[in-house]
Amino acid sequence: MTHASTSPIKVDIWSDVQCPWCYIGKRKFEAGAAAFGGVVEIEYHSFELAPDTPVDFDGSPVDYLSQRKGMPVEQVTLMLANVTGIAASVGLDYDYDHVHQTNTVKAHELIHYAKSEGRQLEMKERLLKAYFVDGRHVGRIEDLADLAAEIGLDRAEAVRVLTDETYLADVKGDVAQAVAYGIQGVPFFVIDGTYGVSGAQDATTFTKVLEQVRTEREAIK
Amino acid sequence: MTDAVTTPVTIPARMPLTPLGDPAAAACEGDFCAVPGHHEQAVVNHRLDEDPL
Repeated sequence: MTHASTSPIKVDIWSDVQCPWCYIGKRKFEAGAAAFGGVVEIEYHSFELAPDTPVDFDGSPVDYLSQRKGMPVEQVTLMLANVTGIAASVGLDYDYDHVHQTNTVKAHELIHYAKSEGRQLEMKERLLKAYFVDGRHVGRIEDLADLAAEIGLDRAEAVRVLTDETYLADVKGDVAQAVAYGIQGVPFFVIDGTYGVSGAQDATTFTKVLEQVRTEREAIK
Repeated sequence: MTDAVTTPVTIPARMPLTPLGDPAAAACEGDFCAVPGHHEQAVVNHRLDEDPL
């Protein structure tokens, strides 16, 4: 026997903490999964969009993008305004005026620590909200430990594992897995280990893919 | 002895996936997160809807 139709459908999601489409895509996926109605098991995986970003970038996201990409400030400002508008359409109140551009490797390590404690989904949501909505810093160990404590994790243990880089190899393992899948951008959803769905798709797309997996499982029972 | 930083990562063999969904859906690549054209139009439409002309 292979999968029972009632067994959870595994969805592996590659995502970065400072990826605006990842948070928007998360909301769309959640809506799609809710409409699907079946049991879905989610696991987040690390993806570093800009691993060379300093922990303490001295400037705004507009400064960062205009400097890194050579784009005019006006163009970057308009782009972020558009993203903010799209985020609002899914109930997210992005505040780019207070975003702290940073390196996210420690945030990814924290997500792995939270996974080891059975709290990965909460930690992922808290980090995304901290970065995009609350204007919190998600690159420094002490700030990350505060966020860990806010969802009920042991703050001192969070400091210890981040300082010791206990989960760094897991982060790099996720990145290597993304390479194996040919993932070049995020968010990226691997559904049932078979289907690859790239980007912040409409909720209905996620629903249809999940329904397709369920139908295929029932067909081989 | 190696630590976590220097431990080499074994890259798994290529694992093909079947792509589904809109290939033009919004995503971030590198440090750039483009806004697809259909999203920009949606934002404009949303603003027009909200504008009490």
